[in-house]
Amino acid sequence: MIHKPHVDWFALSPTLALLAAAGVLLLMAVLVPRPWRKASSALVCGAGFAAAFVFAVLLADKSPHGHAIVADAMFRDRWAAVASLIVAGCGIVAVLVSYGERWRELHVGEYYALLASAGAGMAFFVSASNLMTLFLGLEWFSISLYILCAIDYDLVGSLEAGLKYLVVGAVGSATLLFGSALVYGGTGQLDFDKIAAAGHTHDPLLVVGLAMVIAGLAFKSSAAPFHMWTPDAYQGAPTPVTAFMSSATKVAALVVTYRVLATAFPHEARLWTWAVAGIAIASIAIGNVAALTQRNVKRMLAYSSVSHAGFMLIPIAAANALGARALVYYLIPYCALSLGAFAIVAARERELGAPVTLDNLAGFAWERPFYGAAMATFMFGFLGFPLTGGFVGKFYAFAAAYRHGWWWLIVVGVAGTIVSAAYYLGVVRAMYMRDRMELQLAPAGGSPPRDLMLGAGVALCVAVSVGSFFAVQPLIDVAHAAAKSLPL
Amino acid sequence: MHGPDISWYIALAVILFATGSLGVLLRRSPLIILLSVEIMLNGANLALIAFARRFGHEDGQVFAVAVMAIAASEVVVGLGLIVAMSRRNLELDVDKLRTLRG
Repeated sequence: MIHKPHVDWFALSPTLALLAAAGVLLLMAVLVPRPWRKASSALVCGAGFAAAFVFAVLLADKSPHGHAIVADAMFRDRWAAVASLIVAGCGIVAVLVSYGERWRELHVGEYYALLASAGAGMAFFVSASNLMTLFLGLEWFSISLYILCAIDYDLVGSLEAGLKYLVVGAVGSATLLFGSALVYGGTGQLDFDKIAAAGHTHDPLLVVGLAMVIAGLAFKSSAAPFHMWTPDAYQGAPTPVTAFMSSATKVAALVVTYRVLATAFPHEARLWTWAVAGIAIASIAIGNVAALTQRNVKRMLAYSSVSHAGFMLIPIAAANALGARALVYYLIPYCALSLGAFAIVAARERELGAPVTLDNLAGFAWERPFYGAAMATFMFGFLGFPLTGGFVGKFYAFAAAYRHGWWWLIVVGVAGTIVSAAYYLGVVRAMYMRDRMELQLAPAGGSPPRDLMLGAGVALCVAVSVGSFFAVQPLIDVAHAAAKSLPL
Repeated sequence: MHGPDISWYIALAVILFATGSLGVLLRRSPLIILLSVEIMLNGANLALIAFARRFGHEDGQVFAVAVMAIAASEVVVGLGLIVAMSRRNLELDVDKLRTLRG
């Protein structure tokens, strides 16, 4: 008889709920008659993400003491549960944003199936506890995202975005895999805990492997200098996909980066804190400077997401409990801001039937007061203004760096924030402060019908980004509980 | 243990990985680039299997089998994209794919 490991099904429930939704959606894409397909697929996908959200909340509540499950291949702890929770939340908003998109009728079922599958992969990825499940989870959600990028192949650039993301993403995965092989060679172990237990700091195999693992994960979190795919993929992909990629992928990649570094390589902390700090500085510098010259709003937001990857790597470089808390907290408003900003871009895109640039955003806030005010909120949030969670997020990230004694990281962060004011406020200026001569109004009769789903998604994002400023304490408590799972 | 020393396997794995990376950086046809990515993944696989043999446990071999399955599915998606591009008569040359830039 084959000895089978005990499987804790409840711990896997967020992944399984989304996987089930993906399976049902693929069947529905064939069985449900075409007129009902769009609404029913969106409903099932939304239900899948909602179920994953509920399961993640229950899991976070019922796993106060983290431990490994399924033959030590996965972790059941609050760090993973809270990350799955944020990913599922991003998925719900992504479904709301996707609903009004003019998908090719034939592909709508497959689109939602892939979205659910990407979410399932991320929920799996964040609970990985050895190098093999890490790689499996990474590829699981990446392959789904490659197809999602290219799914709307009538759109100019969608195929190009998909191919570019696939090639660079695959190189990133291969780097991570080779790094994993070297770490395995250096320690003879694949489990994070056992790698830490076997640690020999000066083994060259282990050190080179660690560097390649960091680089592979940095590809996924689109941190500079591994960000070159980000602007192209974000610009070319359908906007709802970009919204999901920019938020959920970043959550998964950053949360896992912290977990891998803290759990598997505590003895090499002197090495990786410097490496991560270097990547953070490069991301903040390159992201913010490159965003200054962009006219296309999606491309500008892509560079802004590179710079935010840098801001969120600061707490990882700090490598202390405050940093872990800061990362989890920061991810919540960041996801809301990013999803919301891309949702507004999607709304304007549907109105104009053309890519959104700073020029055709002129006067938008007077035409659509709610969307305009929401977009202004998101821009101020990205900038880190008080009254949005972005302020508290940056504050905590800098506090973690200060506690580590690296005040120069704060200097870089503040300088980056000042530079970023130019392009974030540029959007606000374009929406509110253009005189009548500059306005390019949408052609009469060209406006699409009101999209209640998108409006609800934007309202949710505004509520979370402002709410996370006022409800700091409960969220910090959640982040504190999650951070206790890491050995920091 | 029979056969050559472990360092030979690792050297070959590194050469494969380097060949693949150079291919990705230098070649222009997306097909060849996909092939180069496969060579990178197989270099990593060889390293995993060689280390598994050295340590005498099967973890690395299981990992390598999983990687093969994943590499195959990644190539399926890549080839699908390339077929879709050639159907739309886009030129198959990564230097000419520059709709998205800025």
